[in-house]
Amino acid sequence: MIRMRTVTKRYQRGGQVLTVLDQLDLDVPQGDFVALMGPSGSGKSTILNLVGGLDLPDAGRIDVAGADITAMSEAQLPAWRARHVGFVFQAFNLVPVLTALENVLLPLQLQPLSRAQRRQQAEFALEIVGLKDRMDHRPKQLSGGQEQRVAIARAIATDPDLVLADEPTGDLDRESANAVMGLLRRLNAELKKTLVVVTHDAVAAEHARRVLHLDKGVLAREELNPSPGQAAPAAGRAAR
Amino acid sequence: MKAPWLLVGRHLRAHWLRTGLTFGSLFFALFLFCLLVSLVTTLDDAIRQSADDRVIVQSAVSLFVDLPLDYQPKIEAVPGIERVSKFQWFGGFYQSREDFFAQFGVDHDRLLEMYGAEMGLLDPEGTVSEAGRELAQAGLDADRRACIIGEGLARQYGWKVGSTVPLQSGIFPMRDGSAWEFNVVGVYRPLKRNFDDRTIFFRYDFLDETREAGLCDGGPGVGVYSVNLAEGADAGQVIAGIDRIFENGPQKTFTVTEAAFQQTFISMMGNVPFFVGTIGGAVVFAVVFSVVNTMLMSSRQRAHELGILKALGFSDGAVGTLLMVESLLLSLLGGGLGVGFAWVSQEGIRVASGAYLPTYAVNPSTAGWGLLIALGIGLVAGLGPSVAAARLRPVQALRSEG
Repeated sequence: MIRMRTVTKRYQRGGQVLTVLDQLDLDVPQGDFVALMGPSGSGKSTILNLVGGLDLPDAGRIDVAGADITAMSEAQLPAWRARHVGFVFQAFNLVPVLTALENVLLPLQLQPLSRAQRRQQAEFALEIVGLKDRMDHRPKQLSGGQEQRVAIARAIATDPDLVLADEPTGDLDRESANAVMGLLRRLNAELKKTLVVVTHDAVAAEHARRVLHLDKGVLAREELNPSPGQAAPAAGRAAR
Repeated sequence: MKAPWLLVGRHLRAHWLRTGLTFGSLFFALFLFCLLVSLVTTLDDAIRQSADDRVIVQSAVSLFVDLPLDYQPKIEAVPGIERVSKFQWFGGFYQSREDFFAQFGVDHDRLLEMYGAEMGLLDPEGTVSEAGRELAQAGLDADRRACIIGEGLARQYGWKVGSTVPLQSGIFPMRDGSAWEFNVVGVYRPLKRNFDDRTIFFRYDFLDETREAGLCDGGPGVGVYSVNLAEGADAGQVIAGIDRIFENGPQKTFTVTEAAFQQTFISMMGNVPFFVGTIGGAVVFAVVFSVVNTMLMSSRQRAHELGILKALGFSDGAVGTLLMVESLLLSLLGGGLGVGFAWVSQEGIRVASGAYLPTYAVNPSTAGWGLLIALGIGLVAGLGPSVAAARLRPVQALRSEG
């Protein structure tokens, strides 16, 4: 699903050039659930932005769902994103003036669907995350966990190949974080979505099948989790 | 282009105070623009629509110095002249000094003929017709107290044919303190925009006889003579001919075309039309900054949201257009309503201005310019935020505070 080869990304900051990713190679097969961990500045979010086509690398090649996105123009990337990628962000990133349903409908506007089909699909996505009864609520009328579940519904509403989540539990309490990560795990297990989650939270990362540790822009180590999510509730209780 | 248009209305509604204030400033700016420009065009129309076959004879000393009555036959004898009528300013008011409008003593037997292009007389059915003109003329001929009134006055005071209009005159006050009484025999509708609908014309001979009988104060004479030229007559030659007769007095005349006569009233206002036009432009200019500021604030506050839209797959063009549409909607709604209000308030302003702006009107071209300006403000205000939004990189936008 994701194939990164010798990907380098540099940023200019205060006149200095920072190499955030240095000749990185990364593979994520179809249907995998990967957690990216590492200290701040290790390049986790940069990987997500590059794989999601939100940013372009300075060097290297990135193939996602069979397409070389580094060869795409900036004008082509939005349409590609709309078809193939769903995003979940740390700060929920719902549009505050829209209801939960309208937020979920946003990406569906870009799909070749009728109005009724769009609504049906949005309601189905909200049903998956257990918030169909709250679909007419505005974000400020929802709890943090509910907001993030709406964001997940929005990310999966278009039935994308790939869901990218950047610190999805960063602003949540442990209980809500577990619920959100459990939901993501279900998406992976039941709907066969490929998931890449950036997290600082080791408990949250236990829901993933693989945990990749980054350090200074390179892959430091990889852990396999034979039974994803099994340790999380206990760890969650310990954390509380 | 697929864009979440729902967001346009939602944002305008969500920030109702900011929207309301910007909307209000656009409303008042465009209303004021139309009002001020219309003041200028109303004055210009008075000149532009003046009859080119009419000249006005006034005293060379001042408009406020009367001409002798025996000038009329001498003027009529000048070659190239068709008709001459006296026009005597009456300076009266109805009930209170605030109920002020123009009244003139005229030669009743020729006024309607001379001003056929300007005044349409209403028949009993309320339409301008020859029958209405004949009825009014018959009424003027039959009754010394007869008068005809503009339909604006008829509407305002409920006067109609058969009504008696009592007026107090500051120039010709009745010595016993009573009011002058005029009987309405006709109602006219202006046929030209420079001719107002709030004037009373009555018989000069009634005024003169009353004065002769010692029943009122005021001196003999005529304010101005209105002179219609014969077909093909050269206005310049006629003007020179009239003024030459009275070159040696007793009262020197100053004859001008009707357009030049109207121009003298506007000249009395000095550079007011220029200032009025400038203020109108300045108000609009100032409001541009206000709307630009609103749109910039709005786009800055929404950088994060714009980043979300881009991340979801909305194109740069769609995101930029969203802000442009919001700016245009705000400008066209606020400005359009201001222009609309200027349009519907014409009659009210005419009435409120009394005798000062009886022909006030908003030209369709002024309203059109108002709408174009509103559109222009929307485009200018939306351009910067729209381009910035289109250029915004999603990663950078998502990092910004919402």
